[in-house]
Amino acid sequence: MGNYFSSERFVNIFPKVISCLSVNLHIVFWSMFFGTVLAIFVAVLRIRKVPVISGFLGVYISFMRGTPLLVQMMIAFYGIPLVLGNLFLNVFGINLNRLDPVIFVEIAIILNEGAFLGEIFRGAITSVPAVQAEAGYSIGMTGAQTFYRIVLPQAFKVALPHYGVDFIGVFQNTSLVFLLGVVDVLGKAKTLGAATGHSIEGYLSAALIYVAFSLFLKAVFLLAEYKMNNGTAKVI
Amino acid sequence: MIELTGVKKAFGKQEVLKDVSIKVNDGEVVVILGPSGSGKTTLLRSINFLEKADSGIMKFGDKEINFKKAGKKDILYMRRHTGFVFQNYGLFAHKTVLQNVMEGLVQVQKKSKAEAQKIAEDVLEKVGMLEKKDSYPSQLSGGQQQRVGIARAVALSPELILFDEPTSALDPELVGETLEVIKKVAQTGITMIVVTHEMSFAEDVADRVIFMDGGVVVEEGKPGEIFYKPKEERTRQFLSRIIPQDAYVI
Amino acid sequence: MSFSMQNFYDSFKSALLYAPVTIKLTAITFIVSLIFGAVIATIRNYRIPVLSQFFAFFVTVYLGLPTMVALLIYNLLFMTLYADVANAFHISVPISDVNPIIIGYFTLIIGTTCSISESIRGAFRGIEKVQYEAGYSIGMGRFKTLTRIIFPQMIPILLPGMQNSLIGLLKASNLVSAISVVEIMTGALLPSLLYYSYLEGYVAAALVYWIIGAAIEILAHFAEKRCGKYLKIATES
Repeated sequence: MGNYFSSERFVNIFPKVISCLSVNLHIVFWSMFFGTVLAIFVAVLRIRKVPVISGFLGVYISFMRGTPLLVQMMIAFYGIPLVLGNLFLNVFGINLNRLDPVIFVEIAIILNEGAFLGEIFRGAITSVPAVQAEAGYSIGMTGAQTFYRIVLPQAFKVALPHYGVDFIGVFQNTSLVFLLGVVDVLGKAKTLGAATGHSIEGYLSAALIYVAFSLFLKAVFLLAEYKMNNGTAKVI
Repeated sequence: MIELTGVKKAFGKQEVLKDVSIKVNDGEVVVILGPSGSGKTTLLRSINFLEKADSGIMKFGDKEINFKKAGKKDILYMRRHTGFVFQNYGLFAHKTVLQNVMEGLVQVQKKSKAEAQKIAEDVLEKVGMLEKKDSYPSQLSGGQQQRVGIARAVALSPELILFDEPTSALDPELVGETLEVIKKVAQTGITMIVVTHEMSFAEDVADRVIFMDGGVVVEEGKPGEIFYKPKEERTRQFLSRIIPQDAYVI
Repeated sequence: MSFSMQNFYDSFKSALLYAPVTIKLTAITFIVSLIFGAVIATIRNYRIPVLSQFFAFFVTVYLGLPTMVALLIYNLLFMTLYADVANAFHISVPISDVNPIIIGYFTLIIGTTCSISESIRGAFRGIEKVQYEAGYSIGMGRFKTLTRIIFPQMIPILLPGMQNSLIGLLKASNLVSAISVVEIMTGALLPSLLYYSYLEGYVAAALVYWIIGAAIEILAHFAEKRCGKYLKIATES
C-alpha cells in the first residue's frame, strides 16, 4: 500500500501539476470570451421575441441546461467530426479527427455558456425598470442611445455577480476535460499517478490549485463589484 | 403652442382615450385633473410618445403630427422639444445627480462637457440641489430626487414641460418643497401641463384646469370656476371627494 | 463513421434501464443535502459560536473544489484505506463487492450540502427582522418562530434556486461514471462498446437526461404555482 501521503512526493509533484494550469486557463479564457459574445446575441434575440428564432433558442437553452456538460463535450467530440468532417477535409483540408480535443471541449463550453450566460443577461436587461428607458427617451435620446447609455450599464451591474459565479463554475468545469484526454491540472495529476503508482499527492495538488484559484477569482469579482457599486457588494 | 385633436388610445379592448382634444397656449400652465383611470396620464405620455396613441392630430408650434403615421423623426422631435417629469422620478440609477442633468445636454444636445456642467450646476442651484450634485439617486429622499428630475427636464430648455403626478409618490411632508420648485419653474413663463391632485397648487399656479373622466374631457376653465362653480355633475362629485381630503392634509 | 438509428435505439433503451440509478442517486442526495444544508444555514444565521465560523470557512473553501476532483480523491482514499478499516471493524465484505456508488453519494452529498446551505442563507436574508419579532411578540420561542414563521416564508423564495440545484445535481450525478458506476451515460454506452458507436450512446444519454430535467421543470412549475399565490401576497406587503 504505497498510496499514503508523502510530503516529499508532494513537493516534487506540485510544480509539475501547476505547470498545466495554463491549459485550464486557456480553455476558460476562450470559452468565456466567445461564450459571452454568443450569450449577448442569445439574450437580445430572446428579448426581441423573433418568432421562429425564439422557439429554436428555447429548445437550445433547455437542452444546454438539461444535459450534463460531460455528455455535451462527448457529443461535440464525436458529433462534430461526423457532421462537418467531410466539409472541412474537402474545403479547408483539415482533418477534424486529428484536431486537438481542447477545441471540442471549448466548443462545448461556448455553446453551454451561450445558454447559461444568455439567460443571465436576459434577466439582467429585463430587470432594469421601464421608467429608466422612458427617462432616456424623455430627454430625447434615441433607442440605441438609451440602450447603451442607460439600460446596459445598469444591467451589467445586475449581471456582474452572477457572471462571476458562472465564470468560477466554468473554471471548475475544466476538471472534466481530462476525460477527453486533455492533459490539464487533473490530467497531469492522473498521468503522474499512473506512472509513479502514487496518486494522492497529485490529486491533492490539483485540489489545492482549484480551491486557491477559485477563491482568487471570487475575490477579483467581489472587488470589481465593490468598485462598481461605490463601496457595496453582495455575496451570492 | 400645442393642440391635440381627436386623440384615441386603447389598451387591448379597454378604451383609455376616447376622442380627446385639448389646446394649450404659449406660456400657459394647465393642470389636468381626474380620477385614476380617467386617461390623464396616458394623454400626457402620448405627447412625449412614451405611449403611442392610436389616432389623432398633434400640432406643436409649426409642426403637425398624425399619431397614426408618426415616425421616428416625429417622435424624436417631440421628445427633444418637450421635457417630462415622472411620478417615480425616473432618475438614472447608475449616474450621479450632476451626471443625470448633464446626460441629455451632452448626449442629445451635443454640448461640450464644460458647458453642460455649467448649465447643469446653474439649474441644480435653482432647485436647491447643488450641494448634492455628486450623490447617487439612491442616497436621496423622494423630494430631493424629484427636484433633480425637474432640473433634468428644465436644463434642456424645452418649450413645454409635462409633469406626471410629480408629488403623488412623495411623503406628505416632502410635497411642499417639490411644489415650490415647480411653482418657481412656472414663474419663468414656460408652458407646462401638470397632472396632479394638489388642489391648492392648481388654484395657485394654474391658468386653466382641465377635468377628465372616463377617457374624455368633461369640462375646463379657470381654477376658480372649476373648483367653486363646476358646471358638470361628474366634476362636482369628483371635487367633493377630493377637496375635504386635501384640506385635511394641509 | 455514421449515425445508426438502430444503435441509438439500443443505447436509449439501455440508458432508460439505468435511469433509476441516476434518479435515486439524485433524489436521495438532494433530500439529505437539503436537511444538512438547512442545519448549516440555520447555525450560521443565528451565529452560533465556533460552529458558525467553522462552517463559514469550510463551505467557502469547499465550494472552490470541483466535484470531479473531490470524487477522485475520495475514491482513492476509499481504495487505499478500505482494507484497514474493514479489518478494524471485522467487516468481511471484500472491496470488490462494495458498490462504488457509496463514494458517489458521499461526494455529492457534501458538495450539494454546501451549495444548498448558501441558498438557504440567502433566503434567510430575504426575511425581515420584524417577522422574527412578530413571532416572539406573540409568545413563540426561537424554534417555534423558526419552524412556524420563518421557514414557511422562505419556501417561495427558495423554490427557483432549488429547482436549479436539483437539475444541477442531476447533471453532476453523471460524474460518478468516472469511478465506474453504471448510470445513464455509462448505461447508454454499453451497447456502443460492442459497435464502437459512441456518438449514438452519448446522444441517447443526453435525451434521457433532458427528459428527466424537463420533468423536474414541470414539477417545479406546479410547485411554484401552488406557492405563487402566497408569494404574491408576501411580496406585496
